[in-house]
Amino acid sequence: MKRDRSLKRWLITVARLTLGGIRNLFRNAWLSIAAMAVMFVALGILFFTVVLNVTTSNAITELSRNLKVSVYLEDDINDEQRFELETALASSPYTADLEYISKDDARARFVENFRDDEALLEGLFLVGDDSLPASYEVSAMSLDDFDRIEAIATEERFEETIESITLGRTDARATIERAASAQAFITSASALAAIIFTVISVLIIFNTIRIAIFTRNEEIRNMKLIGATPWYIRGPFIVEASMYGVISGLLAVLAVYGIIYSIGPNIANQDEFRATFELFTQTSTVLLATIATVVAGIIVGAFSSLLAMRKYLRLKHW
Amino acid sequence: MILLDRVSKVYGKEVSALDRISLHVEQDEFVIIIGSSGAGKSTLLKLLTREEKQTSGKIVIGNIDYDKLKDKEIPYLRRKIGVVFQDFKLLPNKNVFENVAFALEIVGHSSREIKHTVPKVLNVVGLRGKEKRMPAELSGGERQRVSIARAIVRQPKILVADEPTGNLDPRHAWDIIRILEKINRFGTTVLLTTHNQEIVNKLKRRVVTIQDGRIVSDKAHGEYKS
Repeated sequence: MKRDRSLKRWLITVARLTLGGIRNLFRNAWLSIAAMAVMFVALGILFFTVVLNVTTSNAITELSRNLKVSVYLEDDINDEQRFELETALASSPYTADLEYISKDDARARFVENFRDDEALLEGLFLVGDDSLPASYEVSAMSLDDFDRIEAIATEERFEETIESITLGRTDARATIERAASAQAFITSASALAAIIFTVISVLIIFNTIRIAIFTRNEEIRNMKLIGATPWYIRGPFIVEASMYGVISGLLAVLAVYGIIYSIGPNIANQDEFRATFELFTQTSTVLLATIATVVAGIIVGAFSSLLAMRKYLRLKHW
Repeated sequence: MILLDRVSKVYGKEVSALDRISLHVEQDEFVIIIGSSGAGKSTLLKLLTREEKQTSGKIVIGNIDYDKLKDKEIPYLRRKIGVVFQDFKLLPNKNVFENVAFALEIVGHSSREIKHTVPKVLNVVGLRGKEKRMPAELSGGERQRVSIARAIVRQPKILVADEPTGNLDPRHAWDIIRILEKINRFGTTVLLTTHNQEIVNKLKRRVVTIQDGRIVSDKAHGEYKS
């Protein structure tokens, strides 16, 4: 019974502190707006960095999947040699997909690809129908894995099995690699901007709470004298700063989703962006992104206010 | 109820505010502490509310030994002692009702309990009907009544009043003293510091005189003569 009563009192106190914090938010309206504006920018950049990073890495992975390493086989190898190579390639963790192209398949593809080019087809006829080599076409899990697959194929035991190795469209690989390094740069730059704005947010919230503490100095002293606990005094300041995080976080999510929904549908018809757009517009992702951004805001807000209180709210020496 | 045994308070290295004071106050007593400015009256009360810590000596209130008191227990000690200040120390942006209610809010009373208790206490101090007034709209005497209401709303066993009539004209001063007497009759131990000789003479209570940080006289109920 006593326990229920104390739990009830605790809940009443938490509700009062929360209301007190919200009241303070409106009491220092201009300072609150300034603090929330900077925090909004910080959280917006932070969330947008995540979106950008996921989008570009998904796009690069998707593009990389279309690239294939072609491993051309010598004409005179036996089935045993071929299977040894096939097993090595198929069992590699870097291999996403493996396809065997026989000499007949290679010729059929050539004819299909160049059916309008009579001169080329005539050339093929002249050198012989079976002049195109059999090959394996290997897709990699990611861009970095192409070199690893190539390393398997160039092992000494396959020296007599393999005629040559080419990376399907070399220009495409270079382009994707450039995109990947651009992505790394954009991610680092965005992360740096997010850190800078977060630090500015911390400083502004720190200052806002500091001013609030100075303004309410006499009130705080009176509260102490009539028996308020340190946490009862700190509570409203923490709630106030956390509310900056909640409001800025929600606004940041709204803004970034505004961008996603305005740009997304235009690019979602491209293979490399479709999955990402679908991922970010799923209800569970929207919910998770909102919670994560708001929690990040609360952490930044509460941390800043705790810093300010530690320095200016002298509660230790009663 | 209240026991001080050779209590001293020294500020810095040399400024002695209290020098080996010993005092025993029984439950339900009304004790007036007098002395000139700087004699150490306020320091004594600050030691009781633990605004200050004694340099040496022992303080025990009820079963609370101040030497064993941890910092985190101080708010709970203060909830057991009602304090009335000369300068009222009201919260300027809260009205009369809210100022009194605040003392209950910090200990987690529900709004229903507060609505039930506060009007009764305002009735005791004669402020019924003025619940919505802001402190700035009240006279000095009324502000002090709010301060008393706030101090007694949690029904403390001890009420400490530090020069509560210091800023008031004689008529309002007597109003406050009568309220303190009423609270004492309800069973609360009252410690009152004052300069006002007329109050001391007419009240005929135990009078403790402090001079230069020492108790120079301790006269029982009715024995004191200025």
